[in-house]
Amino acid sequence: MDPVTTLPVLLGIAWLVPLASFTLILLFGPRMGKHGQGAGVLATAAIGTSAILSLIALFFVWVPAYDWAPEHHAAHAEHGAADHHDTGHGDAGHDDAHEKDAHGADEHKAEEHKTADEHHEWRKPYVAGEWYTLGQFGKLRIGISYYIDSLTVTMFAMITFIATMIHFYANGYMHDELHEITDHEVTLSNGHHLHRPGRFHRFFQYLSLFCFSMLGIVIAGNIAMVFVFWELVGICSYFLIGFYIERKSASNAANKAFIVNRVGDFGMIIGLMILIATLGTFSFGDIDTDGDGTVEPGIFSLVRTEANNHALVVPDGMVRAAAASEIAAGVEPSAEQIAKWRAETGPGGIGRTAYWLLIVAGLGIFCGCVGKSAQFPLHVWLPDAMEGPTPVSALVHSATMVAAGVYLVGRFYPVFTPETLLVIAIIGCITLFIAATIAIVAVDIKRVLAYSTVSQLGYMMLALGVGGWSAGMFHLITHAFFKSLLFMCSGSVIHAVHTNDMTKMGGLRHKMPFTAYTMLAGCLAIMGAGIPFMIGLSGYYSKDAILAQALSFKASNPQWGFLFYVAAAGAAITAFYMFRLWFMTFAGKPRDHHAYDHAHESPKIMYYPLIVLAVLAVVVAWPFWPVSIVALLEQARPEGFHETVNGVLVSNLTHPAEHISHEPNFHNQATWVATFVGLSGLGLAIVFYGLSLLNPAEVARQFKPVYTFLWNKWYFDELYDYLFVKPTLFVANRVAEFDKVVIDGIIDSLAMLTRMVARLDDLSDRYLVDGFVNGLAAWTYATGSKLRSAETGRIRQYVMFIVVGTVAMFVLISLYIS
Amino acid sequence: MESTYLTLLSTVVFLPALGALVLAFFPREKTEAMKYFALGVTALVFLLTLIMALPSAGDWQFDAAVTDMQKVFSVGWIPSFNINYFMGLDGISFPLVLLTTFVTMLSMAASWPIEKHVKAYCILFLILETGVLGVFLALDFFLFYVFWEVMLLPMYFLIGVWGGPRREYAAIKFFLYTLLGGVFMLIAILMLYFSSDLKMLSKDQLVAAHVISPELSEGEQAARFAEIQAHTTPRRTFNILALQQLGQHTDAFNGDVLGKPLQWWAFLLLLIGFVIKVPSVPLHTWLPDAHVEAPTPISMILAGILLKLGGYGIIRICYPICPQAGYELAYFVCALGVVSMVYGAFAALAQKDFKRLVAYSSVSHMGYVVLGIGVWSAVAGNEFNADAWKMGMNGAMFQMIAHGIASPGMFFMVGVIYERVHHRNLDQFGGLFAKMPLYSGLAIGIFFAGLGLPGLCGFIGEVFVTLSVWSFNHTLAVVTASVVVLTAAYILWTLQRVYLGPEYKGPHGDHLHPMTTRELAIALPLFVLAIAMGVYPQMVFHYMTPSVNQTVDDLAGWAQRNAANLPQMAAFDPTAPAPVAPALVQAEIQ
Repeated sequence: MDPVTTLPVLLGIAWLVPLASFTLILLFGPRMGKHGQGAGVLATAAIGTSAILSLIALFFVWVPAYDWAPEHHAAHAEHGAADHHDTGHGDAGHDDAHEKDAHGADEHKAEEHKTADEHHEWRKPYVAGEWYTLGQFGKLRIGISYYIDSLTVTMFAMITFIATMIHFYANGYMHDELHEITDHEVTLSNGHHLHRPGRFHRFFQYLSLFCFSMLGIVIAGNIAMVFVFWELVGICSYFLIGFYIERKSASNAANKAFIVNRVGDFGMIIGLMILIATLGTFSFGDIDTDGDGTVEPGIFSLVRTEANNHALVVPDGMVRAAAASEIAAGVEPSAEQIAKWRAETGPGGIGRTAYWLLIVAGLGIFCGCVGKSAQFPLHVWLPDAMEGPTPVSALVHSATMVAAGVYLVGRFYPVFTPETLLVIAIIGCITLFIAATIAIVAVDIKRVLAYSTVSQLGYMMLALGVGGWSAGMFHLITHAFFKSLLFMCSGSVIHAVHTNDMTKMGGLRHKMPFTAYTMLAGCLAIMGAGIPFMIGLSGYYSKDAILAQALSFKASNPQWGFLFYVAAAGAAITAFYMFRLWFMTFAGKPRDHHAYDHAHESPKIMYYPLIVLAVLAVVVAWPFWPVSIVALLEQARPEGFHETVNGVLVSNLTHPAEHISHEPNFHNQATWVATFVGLSGLGLAIVFYGLSLLNPAEVARQFKPVYTFLWNKWYFDELYDYLFVKPTLFVANRVAEFDKVVIDGIIDSLAMLTRMVARLDDLSDRYLVDGFVNGLAAWTYATGSKLRSAETGRIRQYVMFIVVGTVAMFVLISLYIS
Repeated sequence: MESTYLTLLSTVVFLPALGALVLAFFPREKTEAMKYFALGVTALVFLLTLIMALPSAGDWQFDAAVTDMQKVFSVGWIPSFNINYFMGLDGISFPLVLLTTFVTMLSMAASWPIEKHVKAYCILFLILETGVLGVFLALDFFLFYVFWEVMLLPMYFLIGVWGGPRREYAAIKFFLYTLLGGVFMLIAILMLYFSSDLKMLSKDQLVAAHVISPELSEGEQAARFAEIQAHTTPRRTFNILALQQLGQHTDAFNGDVLGKPLQWWAFLLLLIGFVIKVPSVPLHTWLPDAHVEAPTPISMILAGILLKLGGYGIIRICYPICPQAGYELAYFVCALGVVSMVYGAFAALAQKDFKRLVAYSSVSHMGYVVLGIGVWSAVAGNEFNADAWKMGMNGAMFQMIAHGIASPGMFFMVGVIYERVHHRNLDQFGGLFAKMPLYSGLAIGIFFAGLGLPGLCGFIGEVFVTLSVWSFNHTLAVVTASVVVLTAAYILWTLQRVYLGPEYKGPHGDHLHPMTTRELAIALPLFVLAIAMGVYPQMVFHYMTPSVNQTVDDLAGWAQRNAANLPQMAAFDPTAPAPVAPALVQAEIQ
């Protein structure tokens, strides 16, 4: 099967099937079977279909079509045989079609391209294209497109498979929602608990939309489309976390999750703005969007040009933006001029400004990832998100939402400069440490897992940040398996004892053996258990890879060595709190007999998925499968990351190529360190909780300030409330007051003034103007009445007046004239 | 052809007024019949405009590929002042016309609960529609102004008679603000009129402006042209297209007035007139009062349509007629937009009244429109690349339509609940989801459209406007991007207080019966359109983009021609190195 035509169809359908399920449940959910039970079946069938399609795409389309190099790019001469004429590049062939497509317009470049190919023959295989356009303005174009490489296919398979397991599990877990529900956590004003109808179908409706959105992120062919589905994932998680809409805590947590994510999106939008303004495209891959036969280069090709052997180069657009004031109006700068500007990387130079633009764009996109993947300082939403039903936690915290951030860092990797990567590494390092320490003292079983998730995501970010691209993505995939397993096990426990509080559990392994031992497998996997250099659980491989890369990074950059030490310490803490959890829940004596007596193993539909996932958590990372994850990922490695790269702004910053970390001196050391710290964490947990040789409460008393600090989660919630929430509300209230008091005050007083003037006017009319007129009238009247005495009514007298008057007039006139 | 267009557009505009006339003869007590009749009239007008959007409507069909005015006709009206009955359509006005007829129809359907003076209500309502459609279609500035004022009076009465307890205050405030804007506009119109002179334009320009009808033969056109040129006195004009030509191709409006070019003052006066309508901070306080007091259908019209008149005026009149002033004031206009976005969002966060909150959300959302229209990025960085501005202006236009769908939806949703419980106190709701699930689902969907969620209409406009700003100014861009957080905060907090939670906390809880069919028939189309426009924005861009791009290209072309005489905009950019800085530093050293 030709992957170029098959993959978009297969994965496109796999992507859209959950949307169809969502739409159907939205419209007909309540009428689907008894109490909407059919909705669960439909959603499960839908995601199952997606899983099957994704697996077909992986094993029957991708794997046969593309060979890969098992370790690094040594064997990259072997490349995809498929013809990619409509998808930009995809194979290394010097075939005419490719030459013509990409560079036919520019002879000069084409020559460079040839010489570049002699140095670097391997071309990452991918399939890219566009489905439809959202908007096009001039050359700026935003559409719904796809970018499929082996990472996409692997993620599709992983997400749909785990989501299918979770759907099965949820059919059992959400069973209560099929009937009338009494919510014991909600007390009404009349003192009763809330009774409400079940919402089984609605849960699956959201779940389907969630899967659709998540797959949309993975298949997205441009960064704007990622943003679209990014937001959709956010809103789905809002619905799912706030599933118990009657609970204030749930709706608060949902709001918090969405708003905190939006803070990250704020940064992401800035990144998007810079990219569109300077590069004029959002597309990852090279696509011929307008169908004119020339392929428009995507972001990746612009940042890592073939001419430059795929090493990072500040794109022309950014140089031009930085040189804006240098460019004379209407004059197109020459390529030499741009190259000259680009080289000005000294302080105040144009090249430096342009490089900064690239850094800020990268950091902006990373901001979004910080929000979505709950990295410090936006990690606060994830533990609260535990208010959702447990299958949601499993989905949100393993395969999907939080994975999205790490996935995007991996996807957008070519655009990150070494400086950006360093920031990513530091953020990851801080996150993994903070979260791990909080997990030590938490007693809510789901919260321990939530913090563990945050911590593990920190690991992945750290790995990516120190140059371990495949280590980070590898851990993302192994973590998805064991963390979903752990969450679903905890859900099974909660289902059985109706509490999240570990201090009320204990000894449950006798009651629910399947849950207990599958969870043990999960704990061992996350701890990275294994026999050194022989075999191990999935976490063993991915954690080793991360530590080895951190070690290799430390060797090149001694000043950043703490990244490795914190990662190693974090591994010890991980082992400690995971086994603390397991011992407190399943071992020892029951602490709450009421809960223990009612506990029971969950139904088959719930523990079968646990078994499947437990097996996978053990075996999924084994390198001796015919199709190993590492090899698949290696195939998707971004171009330009096969070699060691150096920073520009930060001196002595070197990201060693990842294959260096596979060399024995790093790899062996990392394995020993990992084994040692893992065992020491496990040992401590056994000492405290397994054998109870030490009393944890006693230790907590002794280190009271530390304990309180950790118990209050480093006071982040309080800090943010004080720093952001309160000031925002304060400003909001002042703004509203400003409207009421100042603006309306001015308007109203203007109106008052106008009325006062009107009244004055009225008064003056009455007393001045009218006064004058009336006065005049009165005077006339008075004079008239005075003269009335002259009016006698006798004709003779009047005639005499007239005659005398006339004579007098004539006399006067004659006098005047003469 | 012109006579066909004359009939078509006049019918669209005056059919509602005719309906109002017929309504006057209805017997007093037949209130139900009057409502049906008024609804019928609005539906008919909507149908008429909808037919124009269809591909096979013959002469009536609006051709989306044409960038210029179409369906143009011009008939002498007051010849002594060269005033014409002159109308036409392009991709900027047509979507707004369609929106107007659509939202008016839905609002009429939402007017069923009106019981007081039904006849007067329906008559005023229909006259209002005539006024609004007239403004969108008029191409003669005087005609434009007449319709602008015609629209004002019915609105005043509709708020002042059928409104809430403080209706008189709100109505007067609305009236005075809009009147003040109208007066400013009139001054600007007269300023432009008395500096215009058709003789300055070439024959082609006069034909393009429809001063000389393009339908005339070549010889007749030449004769008309000679006739115009033969006049010894200046030929003044109110023709908006001709004024645009004069503004962009001559220096007719560059006369000095108080140290600034005449067009600078005209732009400012017109802008004030229009942003009052948008409304932008600080001229916005009439809006919350008007909304809170107005009955639901009037709020829908106010938010859905009347606010768009402001944006339309800026895009149609301010920029094309006074490009140089627009260029000089670009930062002012954009800052106005950004301040409104931030200010409106903050104010919304503090509101306790549901309707007031939605009103402030309008202030915030309409800020995007002003910003998108104003991002004059054509010359940023000395490079003539207008693509970002095209994206911004298209985004702004889309945002107008999107807001015209989402905002009436939000007001209607508030109205539905107000009708049941007779209060709007946000602290006294809660738990509506359990009592009215269908209503709550639709309401949450529509509010998410307002929040700018992808897949819904609000997202497209906001994202395109936002993305266009970076090319213009980095600082404004960052502030613009930050609004998404505030918007999410106030919308989600509102949803939580109203729809979520265990139980309803306010009075009249027993009146919370589910939505009626009539209510559903109003809400559902809005909801469906919100999704359709969000998923397939091309359905709107298809009509508007050619004309909007043409407008931008015209202005960019003007800037390119006049580049030598313009102050460099990049110099205003605080993030770009200021060219004057070294001189200043040296001066200080000395």
